[in-house]
Amino acid sequence: MSQPINIGSVDDIPAGEARVLDGGDNSTGVDISIFHAEDGNFYALDDECTHEEASLADGFIEDAQVECPLHAAAFCLKTGKALCLPATENARTHRVEVRDGELILYPGEPAPTQD
Amino acid sequence: MDSVIVIGGGLGGFTVVQQLRGRGFAGAIAVVDPEGLPYDRPPLSKEFLAGGIDAEQLHFVEPHWFAERHVDVYAAAATAVDLPDPADDDGRAAVTLSDGGRLFADRVVFATGGRARTLPIPGGDLDSLFVLRTRADAEALRSGLRPGTRLALIGAGLIGAEAASAARGFGAEVTLIEPVDPPLVPAIGRELAERLHAMHTEAGIRVVTAAPVAIRASAGEHSIEFADGTVVSADVVLVGIGIEPETALAEAAGLDVDGGVLTDAGQRTSHPRVWAVGDCARPRYDDGTLGRRAEHWENAMHAGTAAAAAMLGQEPPAPTAPWFWSDRYGVHVEGVGDMSAGETTVTRADASGRVQAAFRLAPAGDGQRVVGAAAIDGGVAVRVARRLIDRGIAADPARLADSSVPYKQLLK
Repeated sequence: MSQPINIGSVDDIPAGEARVLDGGDNSTGVDISIFHAEDGNFYALDDECTHEEASLADGFIEDAQVECPLHAAAFCLKTGKALCLPATENARTHRVEVRDGELILYPGEPAPTQD
Repeated sequence: MDSVIVIGGGLGGFTVVQQLRGRGFAGAIAVVDPEGLPYDRPPLSKEFLAGGIDAEQLHFVEPHWFAERHVDVYAAAATAVDLPDPADDDGRAAVTLSDGGRLFADRVVFATGGRARTLPIPGGDLDSLFVLRTRADAEALRSGLRPGTRLALIGAGLIGAEAASAARGFGAEVTLIEPVDPPLVPAIGRELAERLHAMHTEAGIRVVTAAPVAIRASAGEHSIEFADGTVVSADVVLVGIGIEPETALAEAAGLDVDGGVLTDAGQRTSHPRVWAVGDCARPRYDDGTLGRRAEHWENAMHAGTAAAAAMLGQEPPAPTAPWFWSDRYGVHVEGVGDMSAGETTVTRADASGRVQAAFRLAPAGDGQRVVGAAAIDGGVAVRVARRLIDRGIAADPARLADSSVPYKQLLK
């Protein structure tokens, strides 16, 4: 299992926004988006839409979902589940923790499923 | 309900299947389409035509998806549909296939789509003219594109414009023929339509603003003639001037048809156990008036979802403002709502000063509401606009136009 990465303060990502951790900066080799949902929670998914190459970090975040900026495929931020065509494959999740106001990402370790 | 036959494997038909299984339907499902496994059409005029993706990548899902969900796919055409007496609750429909087979089910979904409209001019029905509706159409067109090929595109709507963009990648000499200058104003507003249309010329494409009056073919060459006597010569001609709904099968089955198979909000046709979705369907409202048939990708998805929900007695999702996209010359275009409604347009510029987004406004109470929006490389603008429309949020024109106001802030 990969080593956790401190990716900075929770204040660095405003609610409703996302930040990309470059694939070269995490052990997976794939860009990872860290999303700050408007419910206050943080989630991480592979940054690329499973339908077509597009950065999910540029998407629209609402109700713990992200809508791809190109063709409006939607993914659940908690589970990575593809919620809407044209995507039919789920997005890969990564575990994120908040520790003393810092965001700790576990690249490659699936987020604990909550639903 | 224990069995469903879906006629047509486009997005509408596939969505019905996906939603039926996703919503817990455990009965038999059959999909009938001469092209076999369901696949997505928008890439046909974009990445697939350009050679960037292959036929397998067009499929909505991998082939095993259907087997795992016990969905039978028949690579055949449906040639007849015999419907039971609507009053006979136990009656079953019979669908005859082009290979002689016959399928039976207690529910039928027409997802038969549309066929390319033919140019109503002499030579408009020449066999040598290309259209772009199917994978085979795109493959045939692509096989004729190479450096120096003279390609004429008749119609600069979504298909023609996207094909023009893709064809330039082959080094073809492209002429785009369209009587309206600029096209797409009703869909995305004049400001963005002008910016988009100018991209054809910037890409080295010759634009002819006129309607052809005749096409002749001789020795592999086409002559496209215009009223002023000018002629455009081309090796390959693609006609992209819209579609006609494919309703012959439904009409023969006795369903109500008027410019589309007529359906209610749950996509139910005039027969209580038959549904219609996608390009072939046209809404008939509760008061009997007819709505416009929608041909956009997302409409087919919503219709398929609504039909599956209605078949299962479940609540369909709330309707949302219609949305579409187009990709060309490396830019992504989206539109939502109705850009021809309302009274005024507000635009917002991007960092380089070009119009990026346009919002169409209509008076509402003491203020204004967004009724339509479009953007070039501005997906978030359109997603925000869709929510402004769906939720009836009052719009402040100054904030819409102010590029220092993040789009998402417009929802607050």
